[in-house]
Order: sequence, then C-alpha cells, then structure tokens
Amino acid sequence: MSFIELKKINKKYENAERNSVTDFTLNIEEKEFIAFVGPSGCGKSTTLRMIAGFEEITGGDLYIDGKRVNETAPKDRGIAMVFQNYALYPHMTVEKNIGYGLKNMKVPAEEIKKKVDWAVDILGLEEYRYRKPKNLSGGQRQRVALGRAIVKNQKVFLMDEPLSNLDAKLRVSMRNEISKLHRQLGTTTIYVTHDQVEAMTMADRIVIMKDGVMQQVGKPMDLYEHPINKFVAGFIGSPQMNFYNVTVKGEEMTFEDGKKITLPDVVAERLSDHQGELIMGIRGEDIKVDEQNRELYKANVQQAIVENTEVMGNENNLYFTYGGSLTVARVSKYELSQMGDKLEFVFSPTKMHFFDKETEENILEK
Amino acid sequence: MLTKKQKTANWILVIILLIASLFFLFPVIWMLANSFKGDAAITADMNTIKAFIPPALSGNFFDNYITILTDTKFLKYMVNTLFYAAILIVLGIIVNGLAGYALAKIKFPFRERWVLIILLLQIVPMETILTIHFLMIAKVGLLNTVIGYILPMIVNPFNIFLFRQVFISLPDDVYEAAQLDFCGPLKYFFTMVLPMSKTVVATVSVFTFLNVWNDYLWPSLVFTSSDLLTAQIGLNSITSNDNTTMGQTLAVITLITIPVIIIYSLFSKQIVEGVTSTGSKEG
Amino acid sequence: MMKKKKSNTIMGMAFFGPALVLLTIFLFIPMILTLVFSFTDYFALSPNLTHFVGFENYGKLFKDELFLQSFFNTVKFVLIILPCQGLGALGLALLINKVTHCKKYFKVAFFVPVVMSLAVVSTLWMQIYSPEGILNTILGNLGINAQPFIHSASQALPSIALMSVWQGVGYQMIIFLGGLQAINPALYEAAEMDHASSWQKFKDITLPELKPLCVFVFITVTIGAFRMIVQPMVMTGGGPSHSTYTMVYNIYETGTVNWEIGIASTMAIVFAIFVMILTVIQSILTRDKEDKHVNKKAKNG
Repeated sequence: MSFIELKKINKKYENAERNSVTDFTLNIEEKEFIAFVGPSGCGKSTTLRMIAGFEEITGGDLYIDGKRVNETAPKDRGIAMVFQNYALYPHMTVEKNIGYGLKNMKVPAEEIKKKVDWAVDILGLEEYRYRKPKNLSGGQRQRVALGRAIVKNQKVFLMDEPLSNLDAKLRVSMRNEISKLHRQLGTTTIYVTHDQVEAMTMADRIVIMKDGVMQQVGKPMDLYEHPINKFVAGFIGSPQMNFYNVTVKGEEMTFEDGKKITLPDVVAERLSDHQGELIMGIRGEDIKVDEQNRELYKANVQQAIVENTEVMGNENNLYFTYGGSLTVARVSKYELSQMGDKLEFVFSPTKMHFFDKETEENILEK
Repeated sequence: MLTKKQKTANWILVIILLIASLFFLFPVIWMLANSFKGDAAITADMNTIKAFIPPALSGNFFDNYITILTDTKFLKYMVNTLFYAAILIVLGIIVNGLAGYALAKIKFPFRERWVLIILLLQIVPMETILTIHFLMIAKVGLLNTVIGYILPMIVNPFNIFLFRQVFISLPDDVYEAAQLDFCGPLKYFFTMVLPMSKTVVATVSVFTFLNVWNDYLWPSLVFTSSDLLTAQIGLNSITSNDNTTMGQTLAVITLITIPVIIIYSLFSKQIVEGVTSTGSKEG
Repeated sequence: MMKKKKSNTIMGMAFFGPALVLLTIFLFIPMILTLVFSFTDYFALSPNLTHFVGFENYGKLFKDELFLQSFFNTVKFVLIILPCQGLGALGLALLINKVTHCKKYFKVAFFVPVVMSLAVVSTLWMQIYSPEGILNTILGNLGINAQPFIHSASQALPSIALMSVWQGVGYQMIIFLGGLQAINPALYEAAEMDHASSWQKFKDITLPELKPLCVFVFITVTIGAFRMIVQPMVMTGGGPSHSTYTMVYNIYETGTVNWEIGIASTMAIVFAIFVMILTVIQSILTRDKEDKHVNKKAKNG
C-alpha cells in the first residue's frame, strides 16, 4: 500500500451543477514530491484541501499512512500546510508563530526552543526572530510559514500555491529553497501551483488537472516528451507547443493553407490507422533553422517571414505565421534573425505529436 | 492659498468662534471655578467676573472635594461603578463577541436569519421593556443585587453586530492554520480572534464603560441599598441631601466627570472613529 | 458531509448560545410580555386579578389627559431640540471645518458637554437655572428681569430642551465634521475651475454630499429627544404641573412606581411604534439616497 492513496475522490459542492473534482485516483509514495498543476478552477486546490480535511470528500476514499481519514479532523491527519497568503498569526512574533503548534501539542518548553532554533537556523530567520509578520517581507513571511510546517514533524506537507504572492526573482530562489528543504527532510510533499515551471523544476511527479479531472501523471520529462493529450502538451512547456490543423494522407501531410510536407516512413506508418484530419503539434525547439538539419531534410524545407522576435540571449524566440497558425521557433543566439527576414526551417519529423481532432488525445502515445 | 480678503475673513471667524465657545462653555467653567469655593464665596462672586475664576490657592482650596470623598460614600459609589463596568466589559466581550463570531464565520442553521433579527433588534428602544426588566428582576428576588443589575445589560445587539462586521473580514486560512496547530475553536477565539481585532474590542470596551458610567434609569430602579449605588445614582442621593452645599455639589459632578474625561482623552481616536462611522455607515 | 454540518451546528450554537439565552430572556420575552400585557389590566400588586381587556387600554390612553400631555410635551421637546441641535451641529461643523486656526480647540470645546452624563448636566443646570443662579445674575447685568426657568410651567420645557441641545450638539457636530472631511476635495477644485462662488460650492457640493448624513443625524436627534426622561426626572420631577412630563417618564412611573404594568405596557407599545416608524423612515430615506449616490457615481465613473 502506498503512503497516501486517493481512490476515486469526488467533490461536489452543495447546489453546484457539476463536480469540482471527479474520480481522482492517485498513489503517492513516501518521500515523494508531487505537484498538482493546472489552470485556475481545475480542482487542484480543492483536492489538496480535501486531503487536508478542510473540504468534505463527497465520494471516494482517502488513505494516509494506511488509515482511512475521510472523517478525521485536519489536525489528526498528520499533515502540515503552507498557505497561499501565509496565514501567519499577526499578533505573534516569528518565534511564537513557529512554536505555536508545538506549544499546543504540549511539547516541553526547552524542546520547543530547540526545534524553533533549528527551524530559524535553516530558514535564515535568525535576525527576524522577534519581529511580527507585518514587519517582514513576503519572502520572509513565506519562510516563517515553512518554519511553522517543518517543526511539527508531520508526515505530509501540503503547500497551496506558496510562491504565488512573491515577485519573479524571489520565486526562483524560494523554489530552490523548498527543493533543498525537501531533500534534507524527505517529507512527503504535495505542492499545488498554477505555474508549470514550478511544477517542472521541483516535483518528482506532476499531476496535471483540468475541469476537475486528472489528465496525466508522470515525471516532468515524461510529460514534456509524451503528453497524453493536446491540453497537457499545450500546458507544459514554455513557449507553448505549436499546433496545426493538418490532413494526413499516406506520407503526405497538408496544412490548412495548402502547404505540404512529406512524412518519413516511420511516422507515416504509425499514422496509417489515423488518416484524415488531425492536429499536429511541435515544440519550438524542434523547429530547426540550422544548416545541418536543413540539409538533412531538404525535401521539406519551409519558408516564412519573421514577424516578431523575443531575444533573451541564451534562448530566442522567432514568431512567424505558418500553415495557418502563429508559430514560434526557439533558436540559439547564432541562428537569430531580424523581424522581416526570410526564414528557412524544417520540422524535426520524429518530434511531431499528433492529436485526434475530436478527443484531442495523443495518437502516438496510446 | 488664501487671498488677503479670505485671510481677514478667516481671522474674524476664528474670533467669533472663540467668543462663542466661551459662552458655550460658561456653565462648565463656572462649575470648575466654584467647585473650590464655599457657598458664601459663590454667592458673593456671582455678580462679578470672579464667578468664573477659581479662588486663590489656600489651605482649604480642596475642602469641597475632601468633604465629598471622606464624609460621603461617593468614593465607594465610584469604585462600585468601575467594578460593574469591568464585569460588563468582560462578559459583554465574551457573550457578544462569541455571538458575533458565530454569525460571521460559522455556518450554522438559520444564520442569515439571526443576523437579520439582530439587526432589527437594534431599533427597539430599551425604554419599552424597562418595566418588564424591572418586574422580572423583582420577581426572582434579584432587586438590589449586583447580579440583578448586570444580567439584563450583558447582551447587546448593537455590539453583536459590530463584532460580526469586523470578524467577517478575518482571513479563513489563519483559522485553518490554527486548526493544524492543534488550536480548538474556543481557544482560537480567545487567543487569535480577539487579539487580531484589538480595535473593535477597545471600541466596545470604551462604549460599555461610558454606558455603565453614565447610565441613570436602570441602576435607579434596581438599587436602593446605599452600598451598591452607582456613581450617577449616588450623585443624586448626595445632592438631594440638605446638608450638601452648592460648592460640594459642583465638586461631585466634577469628580464624576473626571474618569470619563480620562477615557475620552485616552481613546479619543476610537471614539471619534466610532461616532463618525456610525454616521457614515447608517448614512 | 453530515459530520461537518453537524459539528458546525454544534459549534455555532455553542458560540451563539449564551447570547441567544440572554436575548431570549431579556429581549424577546420582555417584548412579547409587553405586547401581551398591553391588552390586560395587569396590576403587579394583585396579579391574580388580571383580565384580558382587549383594546380597552389603547382606547383609554387617548382619553387619558396625562398621557396626552406627556405625548405633546415630548413632541414639543422634539420640535425645539431637532432644529436647534441639527442645524446648530451642521453650522458649527461648517464653520469649524473652514477655520485654519484653533480647529482642534473648537472641536474639543463644543464636545465637552457630550462627555458629561445626563445626571451631571441636569444637576449642573439646576444650579445655573436657579432663581438667584448665575444665569439670572448675568441676565440681570444685561438689564433683563430674573426668569423662573425650570420653576415655571411655561419655561421649564424650553429650558430643559435648550440644555439638552447644549449637551448634545457636539456629538452631531463631530459626525458632520467626519462627513465634511470625507468629501472629495477634487470636487471643490473642479468647481473652482468652473468659477463657482462659495455659496454655489456649498449649495451644489457640500449640501448634496452631506444629505444622507443629514437624514441620519436629524432622525437620531429626533429619536433621542423622543426618549427624553432623565433630565426632567432629575430637574423637575416632570413638573411644574406636568409641564415637563414625557412619554418615557410616564411609562416609567406608571410601571415601576404605580405598578400598573398593563397600561404602562400599552404606553410602551405606542411609544415603540413611534420610534420604529422614525427608524424605518430613516432607513428608507438613507437607502434611497445611497442608491442614487451609487448610481450617480457609477455614471460618472
């Protein structure tokens, strides 16, 4: 049995027409770092709050460490939680905030002090120890919230968008700190975020949700390389994957605007059962502009006019319209071109994803 | 920027207001000045400007005050009232605060209906049911007891509503965090909700104090024993005594006002905010 | 599902319970009792002889000369206090808002009597109004004959009313000052650009902006004056010849001195109806104003 098991968990609010979460099933192993990610309203926070016990589970079973906890009060589930708005006790100092739970657990004073010392130390809060939350910056408040969670020695950490109130730079450094903390403590962590970058960089496994339904679970790279449907393909990765409406007939793929590409045998063979209208998806970095690739696939070299560029230095995005869709290609600094330039490129044929037009499922990943 | 004409007008206005304020305050000035005089001096000074000037500092300057504090039970009445106010502040915050919290944050049956009822109760004038209160307290034999005086005054729809309005904006996640920190609902109320809402607690305390201190009708009905009287009722029994001089009367009413002045000067911000907010909220 | 609901019910009632018990005993039951007793001839000294008398008490009241007098006295109080205190407070607030110096002193000076209790103010003014008192002395120096003030049936009521105005005007002044400060100064600056005169600014900006507050203040002053009892109780005992006897005073004496709970309850109901009508008028007027205000703002925005 896994450490946390969610079996067909459902959530339906009173007077609501639809379920907020439908048949959510997932096994989480001990020490795992799991991220729930999806657009707002996808049910990720609701699922987390059901695990915490703040939302009633209206269907299914939840097991933590072998015990069914559907009806257990939040405090008895062995969890600690970090909230989006920190939820610090405003009238208590940093030290009191961190030690409050231990005090209520009747832990002896000197042990509380030891624990708080430890937490304050690893979170770098020493000099803010006697300050109140209103005199702390966002990042410091988030550290206090983390401190409050880690001192209690709970089995599970739940984090509900903990970094969404921080500015971009702080978010990156806090990301690293939380990852480091997880490596140090090894506590099973469930982390909710709407930011796929956070999920990709921190999690062992990612759960992608949409409209209350789990879309795909997997390691970050698996999701990136083998998205199970168009939604996952589009959600993971930045810039977003390019999508085209195409018609496949044998080895020939025709774009909406009539442009044609010849598919290599391997691909054409796998699509032999799926002739007709499809959605083709390809990531920006798999649109190749270098000479070597152009040479390799010279029968399929395409042309377009660069409409816009995003220059970041290491990675640069070129925008152009192709096949009826706005397309982005990711190029190195040596391949950069200017707005209005004529661009020659090829689609890396083995990196193309094909999705069913109706179900949007990935045909090749079945 | 004011023009020269506006400046002159402004100064004229200041002077007019200054004079008006002196006329307005003449009873208070007269009260203070003459509370240090014997009756003979009060009558003698009446016809001159000296009526508004305290006597020269001398050995018997504070005689009226000393007589009041030593020869009458006035000090005891003041202590009584402070004691009643303290009890009513504590009980009032607990009872009305808990109710306000329930109406703000706990989803119990008919909650919205209760909010409406509490709101409507505020328009019932207390004078209407004063007779019944008196009858009830008399029937259960609690006339002339502290309990009989305090019981009907604890619950206050206005304060319940005030608490609710403040508590409703407290963040829910702090309550959730506290739950995970093994803090039960009651403990949460006393160690989190009240400290997080210091302003409303202070406002309610101040208004409860002023209410108890200045109340006249209810204590005049409940208390007859001279040991339990509040300051306002004691004031009446002292001034209606024929042996009390006019100077002593003025000294008593000065004494009785001092605690209120202290409260007002300490909490003027909360009070003015409370006063103006009732205006803007209702208006 | 059920469990959480149940625990919420228990917690809700545990928190709301103490207040509910006290509300029931000291508000709901007394209110119901007052209504019930108003239809009986309940006399507290012989409760066993109580009969249900229907609307007899109500009929009696409107023939009872003392009740009618107490009612008209109360109305007279309202008619004197309302304009003096309402307009006085507004005037003071406008002037004090305008001056550039001693603002704080003026605010405190006119607020001082508010701080004093009704009993204190009444006791103080008994001295001031006394036949050889300071007020008559001052009037004498101005060449005006000594006045009887609270010792005459014709002057007692206006004397007490003016004293009440003196005591209460500072409170409403503070409310108006708060309202004046809440007016967006940009409105005045805009009017300045449009060459508005001071009078136009007052008429077209200040007054409309203060209107909801005026309704609130005028009604609360009215209700306050309606509830007058302590001042006549301390100063005149309702006299001379019942000239300062008010409705609440009448309820109080009938119920707690004469123990005629039945008729006292009837008076209380009549009194409560008046007060509640005023409150309802206030809430209708202010709600209306607020809506218009919001609409206006929405349109402008």
